[in-house]
Amino acid sequence: MTTPIIRTESLTRFYQRGPHEVRAVDGVSLSVSTGEFVALVGASGSGKTTLLNLLAGLDTPTSGDIWSAGTRLCDLSARELARYRAQRVGVVFQTFNLVGHRTALANVELALYFTDIPRHERRQHAARLLEDLGLGDRLDHRPADLSGGEQQRVALARALVKNPTVLFADEPTGNLDSDNSDKIADLLIDLNRRGLTIVLVTHDQELAARCARRVVRMHYGKIVDDSSTEPGESAP
Amino acid sequence: MTFRDMIDLAAGNLWRMKLRTGLTVAGVVIAIAAFVAMLSFGAGNQRVIREQFDELGLFSMVIVRPGEATDTTVATELTDSSITMFSQLEGVSLVYPYDAFQLTADVLDTQLEASAQALTVSALHTPFFSDYRAGRPFTSDSSHEAVVTSVLLQDLGLENADTLIGSQLILSVRQSVIDSALIHLLDLGDGGFERRVRAIEFRKLRDADYRDSILSAELGSAISRFVDGYMNATVPVAETLTVVGVLNGRRHGRASVKQILLPASIARRLAGSGFNIGNPSAMVTALASGRISFQTNGEDNRTYNQVTVLMTETASYEKLRDTIQAMGYNTFSFAEQFKEIRRAMIYFNMGIGLIGLIALITASLGIANTMIMSIMERTREIGMLISLGATSGDIKVIFLVESGVIGAVGAILGIIFGWLISRLGSTIVQTIMEHEGITPIDIFDLPLWLITIAFAFGTVVAVLAGLYPASRAARIDPVKALRGE
Repeated sequence: MTTPIIRTESLTRFYQRGPHEVRAVDGVSLSVSTGEFVALVGASGSGKTTLLNLLAGLDTPTSGDIWSAGTRLCDLSARELARYRAQRVGVVFQTFNLVGHRTALANVELALYFTDIPRHERRQHAARLLEDLGLGDRLDHRPADLSGGEQQRVALARALVKNPTVLFADEPTGNLDSDNSDKIADLLIDLNRRGLTIVLVTHDQELAARCARRVVRMHYGKIVDDSSTEPGESAP
Repeated sequence: MTFRDMIDLAAGNLWRMKLRTGLTVAGVVIAIAAFVAMLSFGAGNQRVIREQFDELGLFSMVIVRPGEATDTTVATELTDSSITMFSQLEGVSLVYPYDAFQLTADVLDTQLEASAQALTVSALHTPFFSDYRAGRPFTSDSSHEAVVTSVLLQDLGLENADTLIGSQLILSVRQSVIDSALIHLLDLGDGGFERRVRAIEFRKLRDADYRDSILSAELGSAISRFVDGYMNATVPVAETLTVVGVLNGRRHGRASVKQILLPASIARRLAGSGFNIGNPSAMVTALASGRISFQTNGEDNRTYNQVTVLMTETASYEKLRDTIQAMGYNTFSFAEQFKEIRRAMIYFNMGIGLIGLIALITASLGIANTMIMSIMERTREIGMLISLGATSGDIKVIFLVESGVIGAVGAILGIIFGWLISRLGSTIVQTIMEHEGITPIDIFDLPLWLITIAFAFGTVVAVLAGLYPASRAARIDPVKALRGE
C-alpha cells in the first residue's frame, strides 16, 4: 500500500446560514496516496469544493483532522498554514483568478513571491514552465489577450511553478470549450503520469472518468462512493 | 516576500488605476506643498535672523547694565573699573562702554542736532561695526576722524555715502560746569546776595515760624538758582573731525549705533569734562549719587548706562552671564534672545505644521477611500494571493505599502511644488523689497530637515490612513473571496 499524502478523519465543515446549519462536509474520512489522481464528483452543493478548500489549507474544519504528509493541519499556525499553501500545494480554479494587469509571466511569477526561491530565479522558472505548457509566445500577454484555455494554462503554470506535492483543481474545465477542456485534461493526465498527486473537483463525469483512476462521489457533504478504475473506464 | 516585491505589487496595482491614484496623490501633493511652502517661510526667516546675528557677532555679545538695589544687595554702577574687571574674566575678548551723548554737528553747510557715541578702535573693528557703505574705520583712539551712519546721511538728505567721505565735521557741545552753578547758588552778582540779606527782618528771627519761613524760602531759592546756573551757564566745546567712513545704521534691540562714532579721546574732550546739557538725567543721577565735583578728568568718575562685553569663540555665554550677574549687574545676551526667537519660531512652525496636518488629514481620507475601493475591487485577487501562500500579515503589508507609496510619491511631488511656491514667493518678496529700497533677502529656505519631515509626514500619515483598509483586507476570508462574494 502506498503512503497517503493526504488523509482526513471524520472531517466536518458546517456553516451557519441564518437560522440554518449547512453541513457542507459531514464526517468525511478520505485518504489520498502519493501519485494518485482522485476525482471528487457530485452535484452542486455536494461539498466537494469545500472539501478541496479544507485539503488545500484555505478553510478550517469545524471538526475532524487533516494530515498532509504526516503533518496535522489543525496544529499549524496561520503562518505555517500559509507556508503549506505556498510550498506544498497548488490550486487551480474554475475562474482562473489571474491578475488582470499582470502579464502571463508575471502572474506565474507571483506564486513564487511566497516561496524561498531567489528573486532572480523566479522569472526563469516561470518562463520555463509556461514554455513547457505551450505558452512560450504568450509570456508578455495579459490575461485579456489570452483565450480561456490559455488563461487556464497560465493558472495551471502558476499552481505548478512552486513544484507542489499535491495539485488541487477545482472545476478547471468549467469555463472552457470542449477543445480547451481536452487540452487541460491531457495536461493533468500527463502531470499525474509524471508523479504529481492530483485532486480534481468536477461535476463532469466524463472528465472524471477520463482523468482519474479513483472517483469519489459526494452527496450532501458525505462520501457516498469511492471506486477505483483504470483511466478511460466508466465509473460504476 | 521581499520589500521590493511589495513595492512592485503596490506600484503595479496603483498604476492600473491611474486616474484614481492620480487624484489621491494630488490631495497629498497639495497638502505637502502647502506645508513645505509655509514652513520654508518660517525656516527662511529663522536663517535670516541667525545670519544677521552671526554677521554682527551678536551671539558673542553680552550687554551689561547697572544692577538695582534689592533687599539683600546694593545697587551696582558701571564704571571704568567695572570695565577692567569684566575684561579680566575668562572668555572675554573685549569690553567697551556704551558712551553716548547729544551734540551739534556741522557738515556740508548743514547744522543739525545729532547723537554721538564714543568708541575705541578695537571696538570699531568688531563685526557689529563692520557693515560699511563707504570708507573705513578711524585709525586711532585720538585721531581727528569720525565714522557716521546712514541715519545721518538720511538726515542730511544725501543718498551717496561717498559724498560724505573726507568732509569736515564740526562737533560742538555746550557743557555746564559746576563753578557757574555754585556762583548762581550764592547769587553773588548784581548785589543779589546783599539785597536778600537786607530783606531779612533780624528782629523777627527769634520767632520760630518766621525763622522757618526764611530758611525754607532761601533753601528753595538756592536750589532753583543752582539748577538754573547749571543749565544756563554753559561753555562751548568744539572739535573738527574728518568723516572717514559711513556705516549702515542698525538697531538690534539693546545694541544700537548712534549717528556719529567718535574716537574715545575726542569724545572725552567733548563730553568728558562736565555734564552735557543734553543729558539732564545724567546730571540728576550724579547729583543724587553725590559724585558731582569740580571739573575733573579722573577716569573713575565716569559711569555708564551700558557696557558691551564680547566673548571669545569658545566661551559660554551662560557661564559669563552667570558670573557677571553674580557681581550684581544685569545682563542681556543676544544668544539668549535668539533662543527666545527660536522658541517663538518653533511655536510658529508648529502652528503652520498643524494647518498642514489638517490638510494632510483631509488628503488621508482620500487615501483611505481609495484603498477601501481598491480592496472591494480586488477581493478575489486577495483570495488568490492567500491561496498562493500569503499570510494575513502579507496582505496587510501589501495594502499599507500601497498607501505608503501614495504618500511617498505625494510627498516628493509636494516638496517639489512647495519649493516652486517658495521660489515664486521669494521672487515676489524680493521684487517688493527692491522697489521699497530695501536690500533684497531670501526669506524662504528649504533645509534638509524640512524635506525629511515633509517626506516622513506625508508617508506616515498615508500609511496611517491605510491602516483600517489594510486591516480589513487582512481579515478577508479566502474561500468567500475566491467565490467572488
